[in-house]
Amino acid sequence: MSLLLRAIVATEDAGVGADLGLQSVPGARAAALASAWDAARTAGEAELLDHHRVVQAVFERVPCLPARFGSVFADEDALRARLALREVDLAAQLVRLGHRCELAITCAWRESEAVPRATIAPAQSGRAYLERGLTQLRGERERERRAEAIVARLVAELAIEPAFIRHQICPRPAVAVSMSALVTRDEIDELSSRVERIGAELPDVTTVMQGPWAPYTFAVSE
Amino acid sequence: MARVPFRWNVMTQQAATLDVPLVELVDRLLNRGVVLTGEVTISVAGVDLIYLGLSVVLSGVDTIRRHGGGM
Repeated sequence: MSLLLRAIVATEDAGVGADLGLQSVPGARAAALASAWDAARTAGEAELLDHHRVVQAVFERVPCLPARFGSVFADEDALRARLALREVDLAAQLVRLGHRCELAITCAWRESEAVPRATIAPAQSGRAYLERGLTQLRGERERERRAEAIVARLVAELAIEPAFIRHQICPRPAVAVSMSALVTRDEIDELSSRVERIGAELPDVTTVMQGPWAPYTFAVSE
Repeated sequence: MARVPFRWNVMTQQAATLDVPLVELVDRLLNRGVVLTGEVTISVAGVDLIYLGLSVVLSGVDTIRRHGGGM
């Protein structure tokens, strides 16, 4: 039976997932937690969300590094061999990140300007085509500038150490800002209040905070 | 390390109704987190998700078809 990697924990926490049906593959400094996985099985939305449920269950108990969904190893030996190559780095990451959690802060445009291409009438001339493109480009630039201003305000007023924030501007048409903040559990309430206050003062976006999650964004792969 | 085939049609049907918060979570599950081998192993119609990016996955079924064929 193959193994689907769920999370990395400290070796002393290797048994934490036994009642979750997780198999532990311990190394000297870190342990991998994995679920039995039929190599012929396909994955879909249910399996994806189940991965999140399992990772969260582990994260609620002990510090952990979440695995990206989809890493399947042929057997325990294959997983142990891979773990051994990264063990020192993973143990260091556990110390640095494991006790912190990730909050997702998303600012979505209140009015989407995205227009399906199929609904746009063909331009009547080359000039009209270029002018339409220019107008669209200016609109995109304006949104990027606005998104950058929102990021600047969030970073300044949330008062989180820069190393503990990641963000993207305009990652999708409906989204102005996608931000991840790495915080301790006792910082969550204060941060939530700040996000709520800032969000109320941003008229052009709807601001949503999710989490706490395991630190997906901050767990470095290589 | 093996590859996990992904039931793409499930996500395709969901894509139209996925709200922004769910997309944020899915983005993290598929694109972030520790990868022991340095490569993502989920495939959609034969195309690795890491190369497509979730935004493409959610916004363009046609894009997937052009890259990988039928679903």
